[in-house]
Amino acid sequence: MEEKILQILEEHCIEALDYDGDSMMEDGIIDSFTVINVVSDLEDEFDIEIDAKYVVAENFKNKEAIVALVQRLLDE
Amino acid sequence: MQLLSYSFAILWAMSFALYYLVPKKMQQYVLLVSSVLFYVIGLRGFPVSLLLTGAATYGCGIYLERQLAKEKDGLKQFADKEQKKAYKGMCQRKRKRVQAVYIVFNLGLLIFYKYAVIALPLAESLFGPQAGFLGKVVMPLGISFYTLTAISYVIDVGREHYAAEKNFLVVVLFLAYFPSVTQGPFCRFEQMKEQFVKEHVFRYDRMLRGIQRFVWGAFKKLVIADRLGIFVDRVYGVEAASVSGSVFACATAFYMLQLYADFSGYIDMAAGVSETFDISLPDNFKRPYFSRSVAEFWRRWHITLGTWFKDYVMFSFVMSGIGRKIGKVCKNKWNGMGRQAAPIIGTMLVWLFTGMWHGRTLGYMLWGVYYGVIMSVSLLLESRYAGWKEQFHIKDGRAWGFFRMARTWCIVFLADVLIRSESLAQAGAIYSSFLTRLHIRGLFSSELTSYGLGKYDFLLLFVVLLIWLAVSLLEERGEDVRTYLAAKPILIRWICYYGIVLLVLVTGIYGGGYDTAAFMYQSF
Repeated sequence: MEEKILQILEEHCIEALDYDGDSMMEDGIIDSFTVINVVSDLEDEFDIEIDAKYVVAENFKNKEAIVALVQRLLDE
Repeated sequence: MQLLSYSFAILWAMSFALYYLVPKKMQQYVLLVSSVLFYVIGLRGFPVSLLLTGAATYGCGIYLERQLAKEKDGLKQFADKEQKKAYKGMCQRKRKRVQAVYIVFNLGLLIFYKYAVIALPLAESLFGPQAGFLGKVVMPLGISFYTLTAISYVIDVGREHYAAEKNFLVVVLFLAYFPSVTQGPFCRFEQMKEQFVKEHVFRYDRMLRGIQRFVWGAFKKLVIADRLGIFVDRVYGVEAASVSGSVFACATAFYMLQLYADFSGYIDMAAGVSETFDISLPDNFKRPYFSRSVAEFWRRWHITLGTWFKDYVMFSFVMSGIGRKIGKVCKNKWNGMGRQAAPIIGTMLVWLFTGMWHGRTLGYMLWGVYYGVIMSVSLLLESRYAGWKEQFHIKDGRAWGFFRMARTWCIVFLADVLIRSESLAQAGAIYSSFLTRLHIRGLFSSELTSYGLGKYDFLLLFVVLLIWLAVSLLEERGEDVRTYLAAKPILIRWICYYGIVLLVLVTGIYGGGYDTAAFMYQSF
């Protein structure tokens, strides 16, 4: 799963893979359009629905947070 | 009530003294009373609309929280995943209906107050003289700001970002907090509540830092913005045909700086006042004119409004049922470009609303559409930029960076003509003057000094803009200017502090009786 998420991130925002901070959205690494495209691909890939309530800086602060979000939604 | 007025100075001083004298648990109520007083004195009336919004916000928050708790209890009765999903969907629809009623009610109030005056002729033609009351409707102070703030609270409670507030007075304080109620920044409840309920101890250094920021804001407002405003008002106030394109260009460039100095000056003052109460307001500006693209510009200008629209309009639309359907249909049909359909519609909606939020004229709507189109086109072409750069052998470096910055200034410049002009006809005439009678020489003739600013004013503007640029460059390097100055020898420190105070007192633009001009964003 993690590998697939990293592939999606690589396709849309390669900088996210090397980013080691914890505020990817505020630091301008990932903008809102990229977030939307990443969300769309994650939904298609894992057959999940990512509601707007999950699209917050905390869940997109780095690649680990995105992996954790997908894991949480898969477990629900 | 202006932040730069005697009555505000008295209110601030009294609130400040009381704040640190009363028992710590009562501090938030001192802020509440001060906020109501600020509102009552500013409006010369009771804040009816604010309290209505406050009551609806409080009630809706409590209702949503109860519904969410019921939903969690109800879910326990189902073991099957599909049944759980169906039950969740049903509860969600019920909650969203209530949220929708709440939002329509609040936006309805905002639209009523904002557009009552321009709806008057139509209403009178439909209903006769009975509709005349619309002409007397006065827009409540800060309604554009507290309405969006209130909506963010209700949506966040519905999204379970935090629990609903049980104390009605805290909700009212959140909406009416006096440093930010008239022009923002837009605050988020979880950040503010934590600070409101915390016990605050007086600290001399913090008070000084707050006052320093306030004075810096006053410097931007009184010395820069209001001085630039004299020239801008005069140039835009005369018949377009009688002014050369270069003078209009100069006035528009001045307007770009005036708007920035005025609004960021207000934010500095509001943040400074708030800092003396040990309450931090979110950043609203990060040196936007250093941006290398329009998207970056809007991430640095009025940041809290941009984040509001992103979180509550853009994401809500794209991830709604209709947004997803549009996205899927277009993606299947056109793949690459098609997948951007929903974000583009979301962007256009955001910018149309941003334009309408800022002003009631057609110019503001066009201004919003203009930015929406630019953002959308950049999104569609984004994947091709790298190829074009390679094709034209463009290398990243200072020159390319400066070119991109200048390109951003030009785009903002053209947009600002739309919102500063009195009418679309005037805006058209000004655009035409750029193309047909630029007359660059006008900038070096006496024509320039015939619009309210003398040679001394231009020289002073040059110096104060240089000071502002130096401070901005320091901030851009990541320095906190107040900390930077505090570490300097006492002589340098005092020259800087008293130099700015002196500049404000001696060169600030004051009206009769030392009344300052109103802040520009207050009217939005």
